[in-house]
Amino acid sequence: MSNWPTDNKYISHSTLRIDAPPKLTGSARYSSDIQADGWLYGMIYRSKWPSAKILSVDLSKALQVPGIKAAVVAREGQVNIRYYGEEIAAVAGTSKQACLDALRAIEVKAEVRHEFVVNEDEARKDNAPQVWDGAANVSAPHVHENGSVDTAFPECAAVIEGFYTTPIQIHNPMETHGNTVSWTDDGLTAWSSTQGITSVRDGFAGALQLDHSKVRVITDFMGGGFGAKFGPGAEGVLAAKLSKQAQAPVRLMLTRFDQALAVGNRPSSFQKIKMGALADGTLHAFEGENYGTAGIGAGGDSGGGGGGADIPMPYLYKVSNSRVKQSSVAVNAGSARAFRAPGHPPASFGMESAMDDLAVKLGMDPVEFRLKNDPSPIRQREYKIGMEKFGWKEKYEKPGSSPGVVKTGIGCAGAAWGGSRGDRNTQGEAQINPDGSIEFRLGVQDIGTGTKTIIAVIAAELLGLKPEQITVRVGDTNFPYGPGSGGSTTSPSVSPTVFNICQNALQQLQTQTGLADARGDNWFAACKKLGVSPLVVHGQWQQGLSTDHACGVQFVQVSVDTETGLVTVDKILGVHDCGLILNQNTLESQINGGIIMGMGYALYEERVMDDLSGVLLNPNFETYKLPGIADVPDIEIVLINMPERGVIGIGEPATVSTAGAIANAVANAIGARVSSLPITPAKVLAALGKVPSPSPAST
Amino acid sequence: MKAFEYATAHSAASARDLAGSTGAYLAGGNDLLGLLKDYLVSANILVNIKSLPGLDKIESGDKTWTIGALVTVAQIENDAEIQKVFPGLHDAASEVASQQIRNVATVGGNLAQHSRCWYFRHRDTVCLKKNGDLCYARNGENRYHSLFTGNSCISPVVSSLATTFAALDATAIVLRNGKETRLSMAELYQRAWENPLAHNSLNPGDLILRVEIPTTRSRSAYLQASDKHAFDWALVSCAAAAEMDGGTMKSPRVALGSISPVPHQVEAANQFLDGKVLDDTIATQAADLILKDAKPLEHNAYKVPLAHALIRRTLLKLKGAA
Repeated sequence: MSNWPTDNKYISHSTLRIDAPPKLTGSARYSSDIQADGWLYGMIYRSKWPSAKILSVDLSKALQVPGIKAAVVAREGQVNIRYYGEEIAAVAGTSKQACLDALRAIEVKAEVRHEFVVNEDEARKDNAPQVWDGAANVSAPHVHENGSVDTAFPECAAVIEGFYTTPIQIHNPMETHGNTVSWTDDGLTAWSSTQGITSVRDGFAGALQLDHSKVRVITDFMGGGFGAKFGPGAEGVLAAKLSKQAQAPVRLMLTRFDQALAVGNRPSSFQKIKMGALADGTLHAFEGENYGTAGIGAGGDSGGGGGGADIPMPYLYKVSNSRVKQSSVAVNAGSARAFRAPGHPPASFGMESAMDDLAVKLGMDPVEFRLKNDPSPIRQREYKIGMEKFGWKEKYEKPGSSPGVVKTGIGCAGAAWGGSRGDRNTQGEAQINPDGSIEFRLGVQDIGTGTKTIIAVIAAELLGLKPEQITVRVGDTNFPYGPGSGGSTTSPSVSPTVFNICQNALQQLQTQTGLADARGDNWFAACKKLGVSPLVVHGQWQQGLSTDHACGVQFVQVSVDTETGLVTVDKILGVHDCGLILNQNTLESQINGGIIMGMGYALYEERVMDDLSGVLLNPNFETYKLPGIADVPDIEIVLINMPERGVIGIGEPATVSTAGAIANAVANAIGARVSSLPITPAKVLAALGKVPSPSPAST
Repeated sequence: MKAFEYATAHSAASARDLAGSTGAYLAGGNDLLGLLKDYLVSANILVNIKSLPGLDKIESGDKTWTIGALVTVAQIENDAEIQKVFPGLHDAASEVASQQIRNVATVGGNLAQHSRCWYFRHRDTVCLKKNGDLCYARNGENRYHSLFTGNSCISPVVSSLATTFAALDATAIVLRNGKETRLSMAELYQRAWENPLAHNSLNPGDLILRVEIPTTRSRSAYLQASDKHAFDWALVSCAAAAEMDGGTMKSPRVALGSISPVPHQVEAANQFLDGKVLDDTIATQAADLILKDAKPLEHNAYKVPLAHALIRRTLLKLKGAA
């Protein structure tokens, strides 16, 4: 189906990021580097209570702090606060310290409520405080059933039951959320750290009742976004209001503390799984019950701002008899937002753990068990390639049979991501100048994945130029419409659009210059014939160049110290596909990032809430632990190039299977299942039966 | 943070005078600046002590080594002689935080650093350590907290240098009321054992000048266990030191960090080990003695087997065998 050229010089090869020099030299201006004329710092005053009714907010003393130019409330009137860290007010001033002083001068009168609940199991209890008045914390269950589970289980040769849990994972991109906003009578300009310049523009316009045409959003460079940076956010709207009041641009970037509280997270999951297979290894019956929290954004009839906490069960596998029951639990904590492959990493961890547990019970090799049951021919192929490359057959031993105190183990897991063929409305243009220079302009954004580079790679390939001859401009709502970067859809949106622009460019050059083929060596001669006026060509997404549904499998080897509980990941092999490979090194970089993020989910990351005070206890990288370079193993990536499928995104599938594969490798090493993420030394020692009972409660 | 004055002292006495009872000494600043920014402590004046003469040196001696309070953790880590004479101290220094922090963090600051308890460090909780009514950790999230305490606060000491100095029987020399006072590591932290408001026994105005380490124990070792492989606090740390006569231990000492408000030392265990030939059984029995009175809470009971393993490993490392 694919119309992409073959015998390529750049496509499917490796081109260095075209913006590597500015990034490396520091001349790249990220959203948090923007210094608009006369700009002010902005900061947010947040609730220190998990539940309260705000009666009044007095900003007068804050406004008297030297250097303070504006102060605004987040919401007018008496406001219900439902979680620790919710926005109450904001200030803008000429220095950080002025803002900090002003925050301490804000006087809030509140009716503090002592009824709140911050953890899932407490919230599920009958007498639990209600997060939303008049609505149960636990949503009505969503039930999906096929076949007959009740008759199928007795037919199974082996059945396992497990309870697999995953924590809340907090969004922590390198650059925090935030904007610099300048709002004058002429309109609003925002320099945003965003994954979606258009959705941020629409968000500002909606919240502030402005015409879309009066709002411009610019994102030249931004430091990462994983699903939580699509709107202006409360912080953007507050920055706008501060800007208007102060009559100056306001830069309001969140601190790490802010970041942990109120800009989204991956919901938790508590998965009770019962699963059985026939004697030949065919999965035959699956029963899954899951609940999780999306913070205040779920449960009851809340409607929710963060969606629910459902995950795909039984994930990759088709089981002819299944019953799945899921519900979301509301708690007094910051709400969920989309997080790289929403639903998939927890689903993969639960299901792939259960797969290994059942394989062990059946006495089957875990990869053979997957080959027997995985319906995807692509993953089948990937498992076979991975097995060979990893030396699975030679390495695999029965769980717990590794000798000594430090035990090694191996595991694997698979991924699926639907994605899409791209946003059909994606547009772009290229300006071709008589001197042969060419500039592409698309209203998308490069969130660090290399979008600018793939535009240059595709254009160079199709026009017979070099990538460094292509100027690429993105990240401005003044350019033709482009979609947000989420769901692994940027490449399949952008690539066909650039293809179309190039086709149109060659055709129009031919028409205007009479030269049959303007590519390569003829390029400059053709452009020169344009005379004095540049040629601007438009293009849009077209069919037949992109598709969806990426797969991917990962193999992991770990060492586990059975006395200290420390898990060391020794090796990760990822076998991945995403249709036509556009640029190999940025692709590998994105998979490396996905794997390292998956390691954090597997071993370190966890939001910790305090039941008694209702606060979040680890709003920093000291105790919200992320993988460091010393934790990261040798990562090997094998790519399957499938030009015949066209372009597919890779952002999400890269991170899906890492945690499941690590968990299985740990279980294989120590002969016991750690069924709760993150797999900390404490949990490893507990799984090994080494942890004594606590002392009787004392005060 | 609140506004403060800033001054540079050129002698210990003038540092003391400048700081008075409401100032703070500034050396590496890693802990102090964080505490100030989080409004956890306040100081009307910061007295820069980095220019105090003579305190940035490591001095060897036949019977005693002296390490100035301004010596950085990186200096200890990179000193080839220390690595030979006090290998445990070298290993402890190399595990502290990150390279960047070790480059500026000083011995004095490492010893004097405040609690890392996440309730104490939280801007919106008022715990016992901040003059509040209760220890939130005791019945709350206590995975990183103590197995031992003499009061209601269960925040542990986290200085890995203190743990190692305790095993080496080092002495801190503190300028107190104009006089040099000698404090053992036990004495340097004793008040934290008794009083939830204290994280060590230093009085306002006290200034750590140097640490003296006797060369009595030619073997020393340090190990820590963490959630991560680098730049992470110890869940438990352990240091041991002894003179070895063949396989027989003389004057052995074991100390643990992150499980008590003070470096955890059990004299009975040191006596038990004295004169023994070190092997796995002996090490295990010593670990049993050291952890006998541990009072694990809901989430930190894992520290008991973890500490047990570290004690055994650290002791066996003294032999050079493990």
